[in-house]
Amino acid sequence: MIRERLATAYNWFDERTAVRSLTRKGLYEAVPVRGAWFYTLGSATLILILLQLVTGIFLTMLYVPSVTEAWASLEYLKQHDAFGSIVRGIHLWSAYVLLFVIGLHMVRTFFSGSYKRPRELNWVTGVGLFVLVLGMAITGAFLPWDQAAYWTAVVVTNIPAYTPFIGSFIRALWRGGDFVGPITLVRTFGIHVWLIPAVLFPLIGAHLALLRKHGEHGSYINYRGAYRAREGVDVPPPPKQRPIEPPYPAVPSEEVWAAPLETEDFYPYQTFKDGLVSALLVVVVFILAVAIGAPLEAIADPSTTNYTPVPEWFYLPLDQLLVLVPQQLIPLILVLPAGGVVLMLLLPFIDRGPERNPFERPAVMVPGAFAVLFVVILTLLGSGRLFNQ
Amino acid sequence: MSGLLAVVAPILHQLAAQLPAQAPQGKNLVAAQAAIGVGFSIHILIAGLVSGAGELGPAIEFLGYMRQRRRYDRLARALGHFMTLYFSVSSTIAILLITVLLVGFWGHFWSTIATIGWWPFFIEAWTFVLQVSLAYLWYYTWDPLRGFKGLHMAIGGLLAVASFLQVYMIDIIASYMMTPTNPQNPLRLALNPTSYPLTVHRTVGNLAYVGFVFAAFSAFKFLRARDAEDRAYYDWAGSFGILWGVSMTLVQPIVGYSYAKEIQLHTYAAWYKMMFGTLSPVFLWQITLLGLMFIVSLVYFTRRLRTDEATGAGLLSLMTIGMVASTVLAAMPYHLSLTYDSVLAAGLNRPFWDGGLINPLGSMIPWKVLALMGYSLLAIAAVIWYLRGLPGVVWGHARRAEQRLLVVMALLTVMMMVTMGFIRENGRAPFLISGEMTIQGQQNTQTTQPTPQPTSVP
Repeated sequence: MIRERLATAYNWFDERTAVRSLTRKGLYEAVPVRGAWFYTLGSATLILILLQLVTGIFLTMLYVPSVTEAWASLEYLKQHDAFGSIVRGIHLWSAYVLLFVIGLHMVRTFFSGSYKRPRELNWVTGVGLFVLVLGMAITGAFLPWDQAAYWTAVVVTNIPAYTPFIGSFIRALWRGGDFVGPITLVRTFGIHVWLIPAVLFPLIGAHLALLRKHGEHGSYINYRGAYRAREGVDVPPPPKQRPIEPPYPAVPSEEVWAAPLETEDFYPYQTFKDGLVSALLVVVVFILAVAIGAPLEAIADPSTTNYTPVPEWFYLPLDQLLVLVPQQLIPLILVLPAGGVVLMLLLPFIDRGPERNPFERPAVMVPGAFAVLFVVILTLLGSGRLFNQ
Repeated sequence: MSGLLAVVAPILHQLAAQLPAQAPQGKNLVAAQAAIGVGFSIHILIAGLVSGAGELGPAIEFLGYMRQRRRYDRLARALGHFMTLYFSVSSTIAILLITVLLVGFWGHFWSTIATIGWWPFFIEAWTFVLQVSLAYLWYYTWDPLRGFKGLHMAIGGLLAVASFLQVYMIDIIASYMMTPTNPQNPLRLALNPTSYPLTVHRTVGNLAYVGFVFAAFSAFKFLRARDAEDRAYYDWAGSFGILWGVSMTLVQPIVGYSYAKEIQLHTYAAWYKMMFGTLSPVFLWQITLLGLMFIVSLVYFTRRLRTDEATGAGLLSLMTIGMVASTVLAAMPYHLSLTYDSVLAAGLNRPFWDGGLINPLGSMIPWKVLALMGYSLLAIAAVIWYLRGLPGVVWGHARRAEQRLLVVMALLTVMMMVTMGFIRENGRAPFLISGEMTIQGQQNTQTTQPTPQPTSVP
């Protein structure tokens, strides 16, 4: 009786919303078997961003973005609200894990050549998301208004000042004057909770829509057999291609890259792997949030003379560069990350050949590998320096 | 025979009478420094190769597996063979150096550093055991584990980790001697200010060094090879070695600069000596040598592509010119005198066009920093262009001149290794441990030895 009524209700709902076909469209997509675990990085990124959103909403219910109340509100959480304290811990640690996972996701996409035609815009939106997540992380670091936050704000808001012609204007606009103060905090809070999310979430939508349009194909790892056949090195077995029919969206761009040799359904195979990796990461975040929590230093004191600022770990490579490079050459050095972002955006339009094998793409792979190597080395050197401050 | 003994015995007896009865503790300082300097240089030149081979070999095997190319496997196996032959040579020299020279000349220093660095030395000893066990296992299971390549590569991976740890442990001691921290805390000891920069510098350096030396070895073998297959293999191995070496070396300007920066922040006297003092001409030679290494590499790249008329040789020539310009900029001395102090003493601290002894173009900031950036960026561009041109190269066609360049490159690398060791060890002088223990008489200038903690009696 109850079952029948529920079925009737579901049919009524489906008739008006087409929920059944939407679910089918969402769950049944052909995804490649080879490299399936690598693809879990994308869904893990999405889950971590959603975790940021949920915990962030909780925090806005208590946090007050003013220089007199910001620190006090978080101190209250720390001292008197165990649940709130854990939520803040999850917000912080999921941001850290998110930066790591989104970085890995980009590296995987880069090395496997997944950004190539027709997925150029997937890559461009992905780069945009990476930059915005970095922006979220750095603006979030200002908000506790403790010593670390204040001095991070001083250093970070000064970086745009090195931009030729308009640098001082941008710094003054962000700071709300010549110095970091109340207006800086309010503006950064606005950027953190409104401006960046307003761009971030539509971009996530676009990224996912493009992913569905072109399918989770395009990576070198999906086509190794086909590649070898083309090179004449190896003769693969006859391809077991799935029929490409709606809702399977793989659009052949070139004969050899039409579809992977072996595919499986998104549900339940890929969703299981995605769920497993995401759940594991969420558990790790929760453990870190409970065991370590989110630190809160003494309230910001611009007049202090004995405080040594320590940068956030994701800021270490740039910080190490700023430490090493003489004052006169800082504008030159800041061109590197800015130029790096521009090059990343242009990558699919520079590397337009059909070749996906990383060993056959030295013109992009070598600079990419060196960029990764330099970031790792600068992080190492920077972390070594932190221990001895 | 008995006649010979009758002649030799009195001479030996006389010689024995001249020798000190006991170890020459703290005496004959110049001889001690020379013997230890030369001994450790020889040790490091072999040990650097062994460590580098332990890291590069497994990486090449993995690369070969990924690319399904047999010659990678052959090169990796050759590196494994080298390790099995030379590990014992390197460790025998090290043991001789410690037990005879260090204990004999600087016994007090050795007992102090062994007490302070007990944990790193303890781990070091075990990483030696691990490294040698894995090296033999990795090399001798090549054929038996042919059907289990994943397992074999995993053994190689462990060997690389053991090789890295072994270098890291000894770097903790070497870096502590330059920038000492609280010796009571093993963690602080391991994280002393120059520990990370030195470890990265040496690890990357060893990887580059083994690439260059194997390129030179391949050059010799290429010149002696008789059949086409061997010529093709050794031509490729030489090219791979120098390409790998340059790819690693181009990271060194930034790592070396970081290392110097930490020395400046924590042992200013040593840094001043290197940059402005008596060691500044040696530092200048070092930075010039780095430029020469890059120039020779770029000339090799250009010539190798030109031999087979592959694309990219023209642009590589232009990059070589850029590299020469960077080297000239880096090689310019700042003070046109042996030390900056002598310029100051003579009251000539002004540009040479004003009658002084200062050359502003030779200053570290910004000119030498720009030259270092030029080294790295041009080398990256050269590596890309060479790789782009490689599909047009036919292995086995190389000329003798290109092989000579590979040998020159290895010699320059050896000179670089010795120069860097000389600068670091002499930068600390007059200390064995910066600010803590002097070379002269091994005097403690501060209490560095851990004091025993009182134990509570129940």
